[in-house]
Amino acid sequence: MRWLSDFIKTLQPTIREWRLSFYLLNRNWLQRVALIVIALLVLIAIFAPLISPYPSHAISATNPKDKLLPPSSRYLFGTDELGRDLFSRVIFGTRISLQTALIAVGLALLIGVPLGAIAGGLGGAADEIIMRITDIFLSFPPLLLAIAISAFLGPSLQNAMLAIAVSWWPWYTRIIRGQAVSIRERQFVRAARAIGTPTFRIIFSHILPNTMAPVIVQASMDIGGVILTIAALSFLGLGAQPPTPEWGLLISTSRTYFLNAWWYSTFPGIAIFVTVLVFNLIGDGVREVLDPRTRKF
Amino acid sequence: MKKLIHLIVVLLFVAALISACGGKPQEPAQPAEPQKPAEPAQQEKPAEAAKPQFAVYALNSEPLTSWDPAIEFSNGIHLHNNMYEQLVRYEPLEKKVKPLLAESYTVSEDGLTWTFKIRQGVKFQNGDPLTAEDVKYSIDRTMQIGAGASYIWSAVENITVKDPQTVEFKLSYQTPLDLVASTGYAAFIYSKKCVNENNEWIEEAKGCGTGPYMLKSAKWGDEVIVEKFADYWGGWADKHFSTVVFKKVAEPATRRQMIETGEATVAVELPYTDVDILKNNPNVAVSVDPSFQNLIGMFNTKKPPLDNVKVRQALAYAFPYQEVIDTVIGGYGRQSYGMVPYGLWGWSDKLPQYKTNIDKAKELLAEAGMADGGFKLLLTYTAGNEAEKSAAELYKAELAKLNIELEIRGMPWDSQWELAKSTDLAARQDIFVMYWWPDLPSPYSFLFSTFHSEEEPLFNLAYYSNPEFDSLIDQANQLTATDFAKAESMFVEAQKILLEDAASLFIYDRQDIWVTVGNLRGFKFNPAYPTVVFFHDLYLE
Repeated sequence: MRWLSDFIKTLQPTIREWRLSFYLLNRNWLQRVALIVIALLVLIAIFAPLISPYPSHAISATNPKDKLLPPSSRYLFGTDELGRDLFSRVIFGTRISLQTALIAVGLALLIGVPLGAIAGGLGGAADEIIMRITDIFLSFPPLLLAIAISAFLGPSLQNAMLAIAVSWWPWYTRIIRGQAVSIRERQFVRAARAIGTPTFRIIFSHILPNTMAPVIVQASMDIGGVILTIAALSFLGLGAQPPTPEWGLLISTSRTYFLNAWWYSTFPGIAIFVTVLVFNLIGDGVREVLDPRTRKF
Repeated sequence: MKKLIHLIVVLLFVAALISACGGKPQEPAQPAEPQKPAEPAQQEKPAEAAKPQFAVYALNSEPLTSWDPAIEFSNGIHLHNNMYEQLVRYEPLEKKVKPLLAESYTVSEDGLTWTFKIRQGVKFQNGDPLTAEDVKYSIDRTMQIGAGASYIWSAVENITVKDPQTVEFKLSYQTPLDLVASTGYAAFIYSKKCVNENNEWIEEAKGCGTGPYMLKSAKWGDEVIVEKFADYWGGWADKHFSTVVFKKVAEPATRRQMIETGEATVAVELPYTDVDILKNNPNVAVSVDPSFQNLIGMFNTKKPPLDNVKVRQALAYAFPYQEVIDTVIGGYGRQSYGMVPYGLWGWSDKLPQYKTNIDKAKELLAEAGMADGGFKLLLTYTAGNEAEKSAAELYKAELAKLNIELEIRGMPWDSQWELAKSTDLAARQDIFVMYWWPDLPSPYSFLFSTFHSEEEPLFNLAYYSNPEFDSLIDQANQLTATDFAKAESMFVEAQKILLEDAASLFIYDRQDIWVTVGNLRGFKFNPAYPTVVFFHDLYLE
């Protein structure tokens, strides 16, 4: 068991660092509120079937006799054009939005981070090729590229996630590459090279771990943007398909009824607003804490 | 980019807030999408609203797709029918063909020779008189180009000019040529002067028709403005509209507000939930008319499990017809009897109807050896069509009771159609949902394109093929001109076959809801010309 205690010992500075960061993050009241709201959203997403009064309304059931009813004690957020409880649908929408955003950002990181590390770590022709490819991707407005890709792949939530990952990864590549180029010239990397460590080992176990901080910042700030992009794609009919209770799709459908049924577009709209806001706040907070220049004790 | 995202968030929230203030018509119009509303029209409004002879038609999509009346087979129907005219016009509710550019017509005993007498004193908008030569030229050219709805003339062998006011059509087989000549597409008479030496229509050519309105200006994809043609043979009175604007207004909420403020004269495709509220507004008139549009859901008869007729029948029994009519179109429609819509000849309430019956559906599935369901089906509909979407969602809930999973996929029309014609047969949809409306006011138009055998699928997206059905409707079409009653009963018989084979869901025959300003008079909708408003008949009181 010696290796385990050794491992924990090596991890200790990292854990201390994380705890300190969390403490600093938690000290700012705005970010504390944001953290609490995110925790709540995650709980809502996990326990959606238990919280929502009519879980079947989020899947396929319809209830046309109660169509377009205003909010009441029975239907907290009112009902939609097929009599489904909007409260239940918005709650299930939380699950979809968080899930898809995490997967999309995760995929983008999975593509972008190794490419950036390779480009920065190797330099030379590989660097040139990878960075010119990212330049091509970055020359498209991100939403437009996502629209084009999901229109090409066919409309579905999975394809929307793919489309977002494909249009998002170059940002991460660029950040990682910039970091890697400066770390490559540090003493410890030179030392590793001098004792004959294979290049890819240097890139992935010496350079990469030291480039992660800015990417974490960027990724946490991007969650909000990705949720918004998925909602936008669904709004345009290129993401989630009915009867999925995705927020963007709910708002898109509600346009037809919004002069008579204010609640239909309002509640999904507020859900998007709050979620994107808290993720952006946390992203700002994480940046402040991880950046040595703005870090305050 | 982050700034942009913040901006979008704020915009979304503002939109949500504004929608919360809705329900009061006097609120200033703030459409959901800032890029779409009609800015210029709103600015012009105070000046123009004072003039009673100015009409605005708020459309839900582009005013037209081609300037050439021989080619246009889409939205342009409402514009071209005000700029051009046919030889005759069909009044389906009276089942009468009325004279228009032809004063009268006769048909020979054998039904193969049709002679049209051309009206005297009709002028083209460029000042030239209308003669039999122009009629021959127009129809010949339309047939030669062979685009759009030109196939309606396929029975015509040749056209001869007997004298300046008489034109004779020789047919190769019997067909009701008076109905053909009344069609809202591809039957227009136009002047030679608008066509260049390559037989191409000169873009935005002016003065080519005999209709009451001539082109003034156009913004492609957005709006077209027409003004009165002073020498129109039908004559003018002061009360008539001298200028008409055809304007695309994509958002239904904006169309509704334009009618409420008097900014638009006529609007189409408003949500049914709005209609009940508008009915109580004294400044707005709502008229509900039968339309020849029906909603169908074609079953893929070539792909398992729907290649089994029992399964198709089970699915037809599982559809919640009444629920869809009540919820999705607010009761403005009736369940279809077969493919031919209510009001058109060939419609018959003697035909059987599938009524929602889940037990019966279960029985049929059991007979097909699939008592427990357990399969997945793909339904495609045209993205943006709320009625199709809601109907599909209600159907999904019913099919869940049979343990059948329905995947609903909203696609742009082109992609939906491409998928249906895909060479990869396994990738094709199982149920194709669409609205169908006539080009020709005949049951043949509803049955031929949709269910007649096709080598390559075009609109027969059930991939249905039944020689007995094919020969029945072909014969019925030929009999139309000589033995109308027999033809009608054969068309009914043919639909019986379709129903027994459950080739498609026949969901509802829709009514059209027209919302106009309250003091508009002379408004009469003709279902043979869907979405067409004949502005020359209208005036404000």
